[in-house]
Amino acid sequence: MLKINQLISGYGSVQILNGANMKVEKQSIVALLGGNGTGKSTILRAASGLIRSWKGTIEFDGEQIQNLPAHEIVGRGLVQVTQGKDVFPAMSVTENLKLGGFILKSKQQLLDNLEKVYNYFPRLNERKDQLAATLSGGELQMLCIGRGLMSNPKMIMLDEPSAALAPQIVLDIFKNINRIRQDGLTVLVVEQNVRMALLLADYGYVIKDGVINVEGDSKKLMYDESVKESYLGGTKANV
Amino acid sequence: MFNKLRIGKKGENIIFGTFVLLYIGWCVNSPDMNIESLKSVLTIGLSVGIIYGLVALGISLIYTGLDVVNFSHGEFFMIGAFAGLTMFNLLGNQDWIFNIFPDAYGWIIYVVCLFTAFVSMGLFGVFIERVFLRPLTKKGGGYTVAGMGIIICGFGLSVVLINVAYLIWNPVAKPFPAELGLPMEIGGLFLPITYIWMIVVGLSVAAGLWFFLNKTKMGLGIRAVAYSKDVSNLVGINVPLYISIIFGIACAIAGIGGTLVGPTYQVVVFMGYIILMKAFAAAVVGGFGNLPGAIVGGFTVGIFETASSFYISGSHKDLYAFLLMIVVLMIKPTGFFGVQVKMKA
Repeated sequence: MLKINQLISGYGSVQILNGANMKVEKQSIVALLGGNGTGKSTILRAASGLIRSWKGTIEFDGEQIQNLPAHEIVGRGLVQVTQGKDVFPAMSVTENLKLGGFILKSKQQLLDNLEKVYNYFPRLNERKDQLAATLSGGELQMLCIGRGLMSNPKMIMLDEPSAALAPQIVLDIFKNINRIRQDGLTVLVVEQNVRMALLLADYGYVIKDGVINVEGDSKKLMYDESVKESYLGGTKANV
Repeated sequence: MFNKLRIGKKGENIIFGTFVLLYIGWCVNSPDMNIESLKSVLTIGLSVGIIYGLVALGISLIYTGLDVVNFSHGEFFMIGAFAGLTMFNLLGNQDWIFNIFPDAYGWIIYVVCLFTAFVSMGLFGVFIERVFLRPLTKKGGGYTVAGMGIIICGFGLSVVLINVAYLIWNPVAKPFPAELGLPMEIGGLFLPITYIWMIVVGLSVAAGLWFFLNKTKMGLGIRAVAYSKDVSNLVGINVPLYISIIFGIACAIAGIGGTLVGPTYQVVVFMGYIILMKAFAAAVVGGFGNLPGAIVGGFTVGIFETASSFYISGSHKDLYAFLLMIVVLMIKPTGFFGVQVKMKA
């Protein structure tokens, strides 16, 4: 579905990615793991067109999409859900979700998708007329994921969906991510919460200094010594 | 010591209220104070205020959408007035319009002029944004506060546009003799019909903008782009296009403002500068970046200015708007409506 080949990119003159390779199969959940500042989010930002790719290719659905304008990438069905729960605080939950379906042409489709998202996250339905600024952290994350689903994407990329959330809510959100996959979407999830992400995913990549360091089946990766060392600092504190 | 002067919202309001009461007291004590003069102060203040409000609306819109203050906005106002006037001169001696609508002749021509100013300034604004401002964003800063180049470019653009207008229309003040009918009597006061037109059209434009922003899909997109360009990109909004649309709408509204002022005063190349400054004051008073605040701020500046020149001293008319701005900045720096929606922590 998504194939990243020798990707080099960065911000301004600072190079972050030094030739990253990864591949996401259709209808799978792939976890991209790594510490702070290793280039996890940069891969997503390059794939969704927010920053330019300097070199290398990004292939989505058989077509090259690197350096397309961001809105065209959304139109092709590749949606990123940003880190930091970026919603529009002064708009209601429904308006936020409707913005997610901005590229949809038909109104009926928009309403159907709205129904679908409320079905995934009933909490949002309870709060649909509230301003997004008044939601709790977990609800914001649900809103972000729901907004990503509104445009009928083929693949959704989640940037740290578990950041700063209580374990119970993380579990809830991860269950929903699994449900999204079962409904036919492909999911790429960037995480710092290694244990949870590997439990959820089928396949995992560990990125270090802008290149993919280790990759493998998620069950295997969970017990991989090099992952523990390079990523968990040799301790099992986070496990 | 100054930290102690930073008081909470309630304190701000009390001090501001005291100032307002003192000011009203001063005006009431004036020998010119009577019900007749009060009526004319209010109508003139409102009609001038709505013009300040319309230009301030554009400044606020560009500020929220592009994160820069457009210092050439007064020139769009001026060129809008000239666009309306040009259309008026084109249609003015066409007999066939008169033959079709003998009764509403003047009105129909005037509405066409307003429409021309709206459309032409909208397109002109998009052109300016695409050709002169867009290349600057690529050199860093983008449409952010750091994009100082765009602000400087605004000053330069202002000078260039004035001189272009000077070349085309020469610096002589031109009358805009729209035939809108006889003065109207409202509450014992005979008002030129143009004052009523200003208030009615100005409020309709503001209401139309509100409807457009809040009830249409494109308006939803504009509000999204105004809040965050990155997130708007991620939901599939064509952000560069929407930035052009925002700039175009702001300029189109300024153009309408110019054509509205034309029949009451005159159309002259240098009319944009002082309007820009007063609209800036109006935007600050209402709360910078707040759209209803811009209109309310415009009314406040208009009434304050007219009342002061009536009751205090008429020879310093242009001073009062800035005096009000300074007082508001001292006491209530956020303006009337400058409240931002904060994220819950």
